[in-house]
Amino acid sequence: MAAAAVSAALARHAAPNALSIAMAVIIVAITLLEPAFMSADNLVGIVRQVAIIGIMATCMTFVIMTGGIDLSVGPVLALAGLVSFYCLQADFPLVVVIAAGLSVGFIVGLMNGLTIAFLGLPPIIVTLAMLSIVRGTALIVGGPEQHLIRNEPAYSFIGTGNLLGLPFAVYIFAAIAVLMILVQRHTPLGLLVAAIGNNERAAWLSGHRVRLTKTAVYAISGTGAALAGIILSSQVHTALATYGPFGTELDVIAAVVLGGTSIMGGNGSVARTLLGVFFLGILNNGMNILNVPIDIQLIAKGAIIVVALAVAARRG
Amino acid sequence: MSGFSFMAILAMGQAFPILVRGIDLSIGATVGLVGMVVFDLSLIFGMPGYGIIPLALVAGTLAGALNGVLIVYLRLQPFIATLATLAAFRGLTYTISGRQLVPGLSTTPIRDPWITGIETYFDVGGWLGLSRLVNMPWVPLSFFIMLAVFAVLQILLLATRFGRDTFATGGNHEAARLAGIQVKAVTIAAYAISGFCAAIAALIMVARFTTATEALGTGMELTAIAAAVIGGVSLAGGIGSMFGPALGAFLLGAILIGLTLQGVPQFVQQIITGLILLAAVGYDRLLLVRRQRRLAMAAAV
Repeated sequence: MAAAAVSAALARHAAPNALSIAMAVIIVAITLLEPAFMSADNLVGIVRQVAIIGIMATCMTFVIMTGGIDLSVGPVLALAGLVSFYCLQADFPLVVVIAAGLSVGFIVGLMNGLTIAFLGLPPIIVTLAMLSIVRGTALIVGGPEQHLIRNEPAYSFIGTGNLLGLPFAVYIFAAIAVLMILVQRHTPLGLLVAAIGNNERAAWLSGHRVRLTKTAVYAISGTGAALAGIILSSQVHTALATYGPFGTELDVIAAVVLGGTSIMGGNGSVARTLLGVFFLGILNNGMNILNVPIDIQLIAKGAIIVVALAVAARRG
Repeated sequence: MSGFSFMAILAMGQAFPILVRGIDLSIGATVGLVGMVVFDLSLIFGMPGYGIIPLALVAGTLAGALNGVLIVYLRLQPFIATLATLAAFRGLTYTISGRQLVPGLSTTPIRDPWITGIETYFDVGGWLGLSRLVNMPWVPLSFFIMLAVFAVLQILLLATRFGRDTFATGGNHEAARLAGIQVKAVTIAAYAISGFCAAIAALIMVARFTTATEALGTGMELTAIAAAVIGGVSLAGGIGSMFGPALGAFLLGAILIGLTLQGVPQFVQQIITGLILLAAVGYDRLLLVRRQRRLAMAAAV
């Protein structure tokens, strides 16, 4: 009886905020063990570290809300960096360089979206195939060697520059996050995405442009991955065909899902994805600061994802 | 042929979670974990091979069953649950790695005859007298293991109650539950079979390399899923057999070997693999649409 009451109370109060509560507990625990965690430098460092995964995760949230998934973001990140590098080599102006890099992601996303929306193929397989295709393309374009990006101050500013004491990449991340939150809350696209995830057929029968919307969300996800690739190549001054290795897409998906977006579609919010991104970022940073070995980090990450989602599932 | 028996085994195992409308992303990590278990038992504990093989199979099966338990009892999405265990199993592999725990072991090969014996080749052509007529390659033991796994799983799927329950659970979960099928047990068993197959694949790979590394099996889940889907196992659940995944794995393997022999670079092969995968699901979709149209026609008449 008491157990049932506790369980019900847990479901009502704790479950919706499970992630926030777990995050608070982890922050307190890490701070007690290692006060340096709370230093301003480290906190800024965390935001800088999560910017790349964060941009990809906010841009993939819509895809997952429609009940889809995008496994192809890792190689897109690499290919966008390479294309930007070659455009820099050709001495194009910076605007063209960035536009070319972003268009890589846009085109790959568009191909994903068109195949999924108009041919009705399962997203997991289409984007898995695209993962293979884009990685192969990146390796053909870039070869196995590293391409150093030297003497390009304007391009390097994207990833390494500081503005008013904060890394420029943090501003980009913030801008994308705000943009995507606004798109979700104040445009028809945001509503339509949730409608498709809830009941695709109902959305279609109500006369909405379901296929076009689905195509658009994959294009957004691809473009986000390309932007992350540009930032990464600028941060490390290198473009390499094997960046965004296998596992990157899983980290991104984990962040989205931790934020409470259902992998079956329907429920979700960009703002909560940010929570998931920061949760994973803080976890990684904290365990690094505490010198937790990599094996324990991997196990802990798996266990925490399971616990957080299991509690969240009680809501239903 | 020798290079792809383990992939066929992985693909057949993967077919079970897909049949119950799930997916198992953790099999690559399970391969790594079981490989390291074999490495430790053999080199640190000096256990004989006839003891190691059953323990390795149990370890893989337990790892798979854990996935099933997470999915059934914590109500996690299969994609997420196995994604989490992917990270956890890989981490565990590093933790128990004899390469890190005992210095010097990393260069010691496994010499246990039971383990290395898995990598034996048989002159089948010679026995049958065919080699006088055609040039037959020697057939590895792993191929026969693959055939055995195929036979057992195919019978399990097509001729037992468990098999019918698996199709029913994948076809319509709620209907299966209401019909009195133990959907929870069936689901856990499906993932356990996937883990069991991963353990067999791990044994084959350890025998071939005579060692195990922490990264063994990385990324294999995607190839296995691809082979299963190419082999006609529907991601919508409830449709498929063991024949398709095995054939799918060999088809992928044969095409890639052919391309390598033709001197096509690895990068282009990746692109071609992706295109094959797209073509396979496209064809699968085409069949589905035709089937639905035929049903609609029949209903109209």
